[in-house]
Amino acid sequence: MIPFLRRLASWSLAAWLALAPAMALAQEESGGMPQFQFSNELTTSQVVWMVLIFLVLYLLLARWALPQVSSVLEERARRIAADLDAAKAAKAEADAAVAELTAATRNARAEAQAEIAAASRSAREAAAGQTAALNERLEAELREAETRIDAARAAAMGALREVANETARAMIERLTGHTPAPETLAAALDHALSTAKG
Amino acid sequence: MAEPPAGPDPSFEERLRAARVKSGLEAAPPKNAGGLGWAERPLAMGFRVAGELVAAMLVAVAIGWSLDHWLGTTPWLLALFVVLGAAAGVLNVWRLFKPRHENGLRSGQGSGERKDH
Amino acid sequence: MAAGPSIDALGQFRLATSLGPIGAAVNFTNANLMMVLTAALVLALFGYGMRARAIIPGRTQAAAEMGYEFVARLCQDIIGDGWKPFFPFVFTLFFFILFGNLVGLFPYFFAFTSHIAVTAALAVIVFGLSIIVGLVKHKLHFFTYFMPAGAPKLLAPVLVPIEILTFLSRPVSLSIRLFANIVAGHVLWEVFAGFMLIVAAALGVIGIAAGVIPLAINVVLVGFELLVAGLQAYVFAVLTCLYLHDAVHLH
Repeated sequence: MIPFLRRLASWSLAAWLALAPAMALAQEESGGMPQFQFSNELTTSQVVWMVLIFLVLYLLLARWALPQVSSVLEERARRIAADLDAAKAAKAEADAAVAELTAATRNARAEAQAEIAAASRSAREAAAGQTAALNERLEAELREAETRIDAARAAAMGALREVANETARAMIERLTGHTPAPETLAAALDHALSTAKG
Repeated sequence: MAEPPAGPDPSFEERLRAARVKSGLEAAPPKNAGGLGWAERPLAMGFRVAGELVAAMLVAVAIGWSLDHWLGTTPWLLALFVVLGAAAGVLNVWRLFKPRHENGLRSGQGSGERKDH
Repeated sequence: MAAGPSIDALGQFRLATSLGPIGAAVNFTNANLMMVLTAALVLALFGYGMRARAIIPGRTQAAAEMGYEFVARLCQDIIGDGWKPFFPFVFTLFFFILFGNLVGLFPYFFAFTSHIAVTAALAVIVFGLSIIVGLVKHKLHFFTYFMPAGAPKLLAPVLVPIEILTFLSRPVSLSIRLFANIVAGHVLWEVFAGFMLIVAAALGVIGIAAGVIPLAINVVLVGFELLVAGLQAYVFAVLTCLYLHDAVHLH
C-alpha cells in the first residue's frame, strides 16, 4: 500500500510539475489563478465571512459541543475507575475468603491426622500388650512341657538302665556262666549309655 | 455467563491491573494516529523542504523589496534579504531534520516538526 | 480547440456570490457557503452526535469521541503543560480544515482551502495567537526567542534577522502548504477528467475506450486526495500546536 502510494505521489508530483507551466501559460489569457486575483473583492470578502464563521464555530464548539464530549468522557472514566475499584475490592475479598478456606482445611486436616495417629498408637499398644501376655503364657507352657519331657526322659533312661543291666547280666551269665561284678557292669553300662546317648 | 473455573487465576489479575493502568493515567503513547508513518514518506518530506525554502524566501523578498521602496535603496536591501532568506530557509530545513531531543519536543521547532509529515 | 470539451483546470476555483441576491448584496461567496456547510457538519458530529451522552457510545458518538481524544492527545503531546486553554481552538481549526478539505472533494462542491487568502487568514490567526500568547505570558522576554541560546553575541546582527525571517516564514509556509496540496489535487483531477472528455470526443469509440485510463487515474486519485485532506489538516494542527508550544514555553 505505502510503496504504491509513494509511487503514485511522486508520479502525480511529476505530472503536476510538467503541467503547471503549461497551465500557467494557458491561464495568462483568462487572468491567472482565481486565488491570486486579489483585486476581486470576493477574495477578501470570503475571508471576512470565514473569520465570522470560524468564530461562531469556535464559540459553539467551545461552549456547547466540547463540554458535552468531555463530560461524557469524564463520566465514563469515573464509572470505569469505580468499576475497577469495585473489581479490585471484590478480588481482594475473594482472595481473603480463599485464604481462610485454605487455612481451615489445613487445620482440619492436621486435627484429623493427629486423631488418626493417636488411635493407631493406642491400638498398637493394646496389640503389643496382648502379644506379650500370649508370649508369656506360651513360654510358661513351653517350660512346663520341657520339664515334663525331661522327667519323662530321665524316667525312661532309668528304666532303660535297669533293663540293660538285667539284660547284660543275664547275657553274661548265660555266656560265661558266672555272675559279673555289679560295679564293672555298671561302669560298662555307663560308658555304653553315654556314648549311645551322645 | 461462562465463568472461568474458580481458584487462583493469574490472567484475571493481569487483566484487572492492565485495565486499571489504562483508565488510571492515560500515558498516551507518542505514536499518534499514524502521523509518523507518513513522516517517512520522502515525497512529503520533499514538499516540506521546498515549502520551507520558498516561504522563507518569499518573506525575505517581500520585506527587502518593500524596504527598498520605502527607503529608496533599490536593489541593495533586496539583495541582502535574499541572502538572509536563503539562510533562514536552510535553517528551517535543518531544524526539520535535526535529531530529536530529550522529550522529542525541545525548542519546539525542528524536533517536534518531525512529527508531522 | 474552439468548440467541444477543453481543460479548464482553474475554473473550479473561481469565486462567485451565492444565496442569490442576498448573498450578492453582502458578498457571501460559494466558498463561504461551503464553510457554513463544514461548520454545520462539525457541529452535527460533535453536538448532535453526542446528544445520547451514552456511557456505551453508539457509532456516531464513538466517532465524535475519537476525534475529541485525537486532538486532545495532540495538544497534550505537543503543547505540553498548559494545553487546555488552546484545545478548543486547535480542535476548531483541525476539524474546520479537515471537513473543509473533505467537503471540497465532492463534485460541484467548492474547496475553500484551495484559496491562498483563506489558508493565509487561518495561518495569520494562528500566528497572531501565538505572538499574543507569547507576549502575554512572557512580556518583553518573548523577544529573546529570536536570539538562539548559546550563540555568540557577536553574531547577533546576523542571527536575529535570520531568526525573525524564520519566524515570519511560519505562517507563509503554513498557508502555502495547505493551499498547494489542495490545489494540486483538484487541478490534477480536473486535468484528467478534461483529458478523458477530449480523448473521448476526438477519437470516437477508441477514444471512449482510451478515456478509461484517465478515469482510472482519477479513481485512484480519490484515495490519494482523501489522504492529503486528512494529512494536511493534521499538519496544520500539529504546527499550530508547535507554535503555541513555543509561545507558551519559549523553547
